Amino acid sequence: MKRTPISFLSSALRVFDLSIGEMLWSRRTIFMALVVAGPVLIAAITRGVASLGPVMQVNGTRIAGATIFGLMIWVFYLRFTVPVLGVFYGTSLIADEVDDKTITYLFTRPVPRGAVLFGKYLAYLVCTIFVVLPSVVLVYLLVVPIGGTLAQSFVPLLTDLGLLALGLAVYGALFAFIGAEMKRPLLTGLMFVIGWEPAAMLFPGYLRRFTVAYYLQALVPHAMPQDSATSLIQAMFRQAPPIGASLAWLFVFWLGFLYLAARAVERREYVLEQ
Amino acid sequence: MTTRTRYFLFGSAGILVAGLCTGLLAYYGGFPTVASTAYGPAELSYVPADADVVAYANVREVMTSELRARLKQVMPEHGQGQNEFEQKTGLNIESDVDHVVACVAPSASDRNGGMVLVRGRFDQVRLETLARQEGGVVEEYRGRRLIRTTHGSHGDTSAMLGFMEPGLAVFGDSATVKRAIDTHVGGGKNVTSNDALMTLMREMASGSNAWAIGRFDAIAKRANLPDNVSRQIPPLHWFAASGHVNGGISGMLRAEARDEQAAENLRDVLRGFVALIKLQSSAKPELQAMLQSIELGGTGKTVAISFSIPSAVIDALPRPKHPAG
Repeated sequence: MKRTPISFLSSALRVFDLSIGEMLWSRRTIFMALVVAGPVLIAAITRGVASLGPVMQVNGTRIAGATIFGLMIWVFYLRFTVPVLGVFYGTSLIADEVDDKTITYLFTRPVPRGAVLFGKYLAYLVCTIFVVLPSVVLVYLLVVPIGGTLAQSFVPLLTDLGLLALGLAVYGALFAFIGAEMKRPLLTGLMFVIGWEPAAMLFPGYLRRFTVAYYLQALVPHAMPQDSATSLIQAMFRQAPPIGASLAWLFVFWLGFLYLAARAVERREYVLEQ
Repeated sequence: MTTRTRYFLFGSAGILVAGLCTGLLAYYGGFPTVASTAYGPAELSYVPADADVVAYANVREVMTSELRARLKQVMPEHGQGQNEFEQKTGLNIESDVDHVVACVAPSASDRNGGMVLVRGRFDQVRLETLARQEGGVVEEYRGRRLIRTTHGSHGDTSAMLGFMEPGLAVFGDSATVKRAIDTHVGGGKNVTSNDALMTLMREMASGSNAWAIGRFDAIAKRANLPDNVSRQIPPLHWFAASGHVNGGISGMLRAEARDEQAAENLRDVLRGFVALIKLQSSAKPELQAMLQSIELGGTGKTVAISFSIPSAVIDALPRPKHPAG
């Protein structure tokens, strides 16, 4: 009897179905929960403090809730949560299967190898988006009403949600490629996020064009905080590319790295250490 | 997918959707509309809907602020002028005025007209007598007593002082004052029906004790500026400023440019200016806190700059030297 081959998409959805629960209830999720619960806790404390007096002040300066919200998006989500989750989850999509020596079982199934990566990538995206974005919404509901109205920050909130989802997608694709191609992907990923991106963003010139942060930061609807010498230098030399160009480049990175990652998985022979 | 995973995903999606619906409801007038009926000072009911500029200052809060107390220590005032004013009018600005609302609105001749509404405690008889001594003429308009004074080289410009209601005085050009009475008494549309201005007001006024919002292009157009001057003015549509005075001063200036390119140009100029000031002032530690607080922001057509002058900067101001003896 001849068996009809399963299509790429339905194979990917099968892998997604299998991986989502595995990914969501792993030890790594505890780290993710801590990362996203931190800002919510800080927002709740800020709201509590603000309810004690009519005006929220930090170091004698009056700060409105919308400003605090913008600051939290920059500091907690854009500069930390999105790239770090991208590294930890993206690099592990294939590397974990190699480390656990379970990749053989996946590759012996009658599904395209690229679909395995694509299904796992979809699981990563759903998992992170469904944890990070509700946290942003909770921060918005808690912080923005301090000295302001929810209406004034609603459009920036939509922009924030969109750019954070796009950031998770692009960083995930980039690190999925690194995870599929390189031997020590976590180390490489961390070097990229902690070393390369902040360093390249500091210098004027074209180097910053080889970072994801450069294009992602151009979409942020809030003023860049100047909370450190590094931020001040970044703000001074900041050249925000046009929004259209940023979006176009982010989509190119996303699709490009996802394709390269799938191609790497298709071609590479994974030798399992005994 | 296990049931546990499904519950988790539904829960997360629920939070996301609930938050977005709340924001959407607020954005499309749900919560703010309920709030906006009582939003802003009551005197806004006198301000015509087509006002180009509306400003507010809580004089009482500013007068009783720590900042003013510190400034008094640093720069002791010679209260002679203030005393003379009080003796003449019976009005002590520090204690008798609560807040002021000012506006600029187009007058009949398509020129800028304006008025100031002052809420406080006045000796109405004394003020009226004083105005008549200065050549003022009393007239009645829709049940309000107004005192008209004429000035200008041909006596063609007139200003009016009037009392709209107990504890509310108005001073401005006669056309605008009469329009204000028409707006309030005749039930005409007042500025609270101007959605664009009220949205900006809600954003700028919260937490501040002084603010001003206006249409820059409309004022510039009616000001009949010479061509070479008007060409130098940045192409701005709206401007808004707000400040909070207490121990120090914190404030925000916001402008909406004609297009994104104009806004980007303005941001570039300000960015360079702010960076230059920061670099130039690196040797002055007393100014560091203030300079570090300057933050440039805004996206699209909006340009915003915020700052804060902490109380330490006021304390560091040089005190005037009094001659010995």
